[in-house]
Amino acid sequence: MMSIRNTLLLALCMTGTMLVTTIAGANVQPPVAADNAVAETKAVQAPIKTISTASADKEKKSNSTADHAKFKELQKDFKTGPEVTQACLECHTEAAKQVHKTKHWTWEYINPATKQKLGKKNVINNFCTSVTSNQTFCSACHVGYGWSDDNFDFTKEESVDCVVCHDTTGKYKKLPGLSGHPNYESMEWPPHSGKFREATDLTKIAQNVGKTSRKTCGACHFYGGGGNAVKHGDLDSSLVNPKHYLDVHMETEGLDFSCAKCHLSDSHQVSGSRYAPTAVDTNGVLMRGKSDGRNPTTCQACHGDRPHKAEHPKLNEHTDKIACQTCHIPEYARGPLATKMTWDWSTAGRLDENGHRVQVKGSDGRTIYDSKKGDFTYDRYVIPEYVWFNGNIKYTLFGDKVDGKDLVKINEFMGTPGAPDSRIWPVKTFRGKQPYDVANETLAIFHTAGKDDSAFWGNYDWDKAIKWGMEAAGADYSGEFKFVETEMSWPITHMVAPKEDALSCKQCHKKDGRLEGVEGVYIPGRDANPWIDKIALLIALLTLIGVLIHGAIRVYMNKRGE
Amino acid sequence: MTERIYIFKRFERFWHWSQALLIMFMMTTGFEVHGLYTLFGFENAVGFHTTAAWALITLWIFAIFWHFTTGEWKQYIPTLDKADAMLKYYLTGIFTHAEHPFRQTTLTKHNPLQRLAYLGVKLIINPLLWFSGLLYLFYSSWNAWGIGWLSLEWVATLHVIGAFMMLVFFIAHVYLATAGHTPTSHIKAMITGWEELD
Amino acid sequence: MSKALLGFVLGIFITAIYIMNSAGSLMFNEIESPFGVEETAARIQANIQSLAKNGWKLSGLRNPAKAVAFDGGNVMPVLLVEACSTQYSGPILKDSNTQILSLLMPCSIAVYKKDNGKVYVGMMNSGLLGQLFGSKVGSIMKKVEADQKVFVTFDPSKPAPPLIKIKPGGGGAGGNDQGGC
Repeated sequence: MMSIRNTLLLALCMTGTMLVTTIAGANVQPPVAADNAVAETKAVQAPIKTISTASADKEKKSNSTADHAKFKELQKDFKTGPEVTQACLECHTEAAKQVHKTKHWTWEYINPATKQKLGKKNVINNFCTSVTSNQTFCSACHVGYGWSDDNFDFTKEESVDCVVCHDTTGKYKKLPGLSGHPNYESMEWPPHSGKFREATDLTKIAQNVGKTSRKTCGACHFYGGGGNAVKHGDLDSSLVNPKHYLDVHMETEGLDFSCAKCHLSDSHQVSGSRYAPTAVDTNGVLMRGKSDGRNPTTCQACHGDRPHKAEHPKLNEHTDKIACQTCHIPEYARGPLATKMTWDWSTAGRLDENGHRVQVKGSDGRTIYDSKKGDFTYDRYVIPEYVWFNGNIKYTLFGDKVDGKDLVKINEFMGTPGAPDSRIWPVKTFRGKQPYDVANETLAIFHTAGKDDSAFWGNYDWDKAIKWGMEAAGADYSGEFKFVETEMSWPITHMVAPKEDALSCKQCHKKDGRLEGVEGVYIPGRDANPWIDKIALLIALLTLIGVLIHGAIRVYMNKRGE
Repeated sequence: MTERIYIFKRFERFWHWSQALLIMFMMTTGFEVHGLYTLFGFENAVGFHTTAAWALITLWIFAIFWHFTTGEWKQYIPTLDKADAMLKYYLTGIFTHAEHPFRQTTLTKHNPLQRLAYLGVKLIINPLLWFSGLLYLFYSSWNAWGIGWLSLEWVATLHVIGAFMMLVFFIAHVYLATAGHTPTSHIKAMITGWEELD
Repeated sequence: MSKALLGFVLGIFITAIYIMNSAGSLMFNEIESPFGVEETAARIQANIQSLAKNGWKLSGLRNPAKAVAFDGGNVMPVLLVEACSTQYSGPILKDSNTQILSLLMPCSIAVYKKDNGKVYVGMMNSGLLGQLFGSKVGSIMKKVEADQKVFVTFDPSKPAPPLIKIKPGGGGAGGNDQGGC
């Protein structure tokens, strides 16, 4: 017998299921797969892309016509990096000269539009702030050996580090503190961890050089800002072996692009720079052989500027206002790693009762406070901020006036709302607090790392660290510093999502949507003249009320007439 | 004994009702695109609105052809003759069962206020909607047409103004459909073609 | 008369639409969290553990977004904190008239980030649900509802607790935060 309660239960369950289905919406899958269940289904799951030869190809070491292991120049017991470079230069005679002309070597770049002197050597950011006085650490990401202070010889060919970009073994690692060298002897790493890194096997590495890869580029570019995923948000180690959801171009099982596939290089000059990005590209697909001085590292260089299929004609009409990235990278830091969002230096230096360094971890296990650095916040699947951008970026450099009254824009994306030379771009904006010299009215340069009595990370003394840093920069320190709020932005352009995950119309075409507050463009669904809407709706309402009253009187009079 | 006259020909009735449906549908989808509510979803609403627009354009081409070949366009020549009487009737007479001041014939099937209203729709509201709507639709060709200086905001705003005017017309029109010789006589006429007169 | 009937039918129709539209918000509660997804989930877990006296144990932490990512898609971060109290589940599971309610076990609390960048907590409206199943279930679910309020009461002055990554489905007998239901 079916009791009333059972019937009710059945009805409820059905309603519940319907509700859940409705609420879950179209793109959320039922949360059935537990982590271990996922692992079990892995084996039977058919590969998403059927490029089965890709993995077979990878088993072959390389498709190069040269096997460097057979070169007699490389049959040596290399003791140092420069020795390896000398061997490279025996055949690749012009390579070092080419590298000497690149930003990777000079860390300097003059912006042709603003004439500002940029590059890592000159820019102050709001992460570890400045290279000056900290070269022994920072030069772990320099394509050279031995840059420890201002006396570094930028003309020496054997100082170029070839293998940091051309290593294929994954065993080559330049460690902070060694002025751009890898460890030639076994050493404790990370410091005080009790773990040891073996001496770098330079001979093996030299015999296995090859093309650059996501891993070699990523060795520096994924770790900007002092750690994995910290700085950019759209560049982190999850791109070494990315899955389809994370990046459709670099997906290992799919297209498997290397960085250089887009960042086409010539004579060691790598294209595509965030110091002078190409914000607008209306030239269509870049044919082989044509260059016209164009930047090949744009979406349009491959996809053109009318890339959407005919069944979605309206989509192509968006390209005159918005960058591809705005829709196709709906969120950044979509991998397992969170990116740093804020960094407050002003709280750095707090020690425990024994005078020891304090590190506090957040719920996700990431450090949210460190005596050396201050407070941090992180985020994943970050919704970008959107700005009009024409490719010019103006920096606040050392010496530029900072009076502490206003928030300091360390860089500012230039662009005119609605103008043909600008597009709406997604950016990561990183916010922080950092010291500035009150009397000299400039962002401060301070000495962070080093085995001396002034490095902040050893002594926690701001005055000493700033004095040292400012002097290294050839400036005087007034003796008074305060903290100022700063923000710095990066264009979001990696981690292109599958097309199904691009922004939907409604995410912008509504009030309080993604592009709320972005001026210079009329977005149906977001924008309306509030007066016209109000007055028109009022007139319509009055008309309705009018006819209803008129009708009511007719009905009433009719009744009375009867 | 009621008198019946044949006023609306078959094509005219087909035109009226299909146009009515399309306009209601376009108002529904259009105001959704404008952000007043969510019904079909933005992308669908845009798609439906565009498809309905082409359907209505097609219908209109036939209707214009019909109007000119049959001479029916003359029904919309404005006249103020008896307009004041009609206005007075709607304001007072209709409540007291006064005699309807206008007698339809096949040659003058619209009363002077109808003539004015429909002419207004045909000469102001519709052109406004069509011009702004087609410009809206061909936004990406503006530069090629040499009208790149146009502002989408203005075009869209004019389109919205036209849409609201159509909404007001729609409300009044639906109500006044009950204001014939009997409350249902106009509606019946629009369905069957035959108008009943007192 | 026919007009009255028409009005009546129309009234029922409109009410039905209203109920269908609002049922979701009746059956579920959603609140905004001032913390990130992980920290919100971790704070809920800590709150659940603070009610151990009512039998509450964590029984799992699920990440449905991972499954979607595995199949190649993106969804905003989401975590399901699962917990159960045998003090409440026991009596319901004993009664064959209410055994079917086991499909709602363990109690699941969802933490997710929306397209506006804010983090929300979603929960079943246990009190209302319980009322539909007679007084016994009703009184149990009233207690669950009261406990749920504690789960999502956050004290920002407390430091962020670590997220406890329990594999779902470990429980059964309970013990050591392996409280399955």
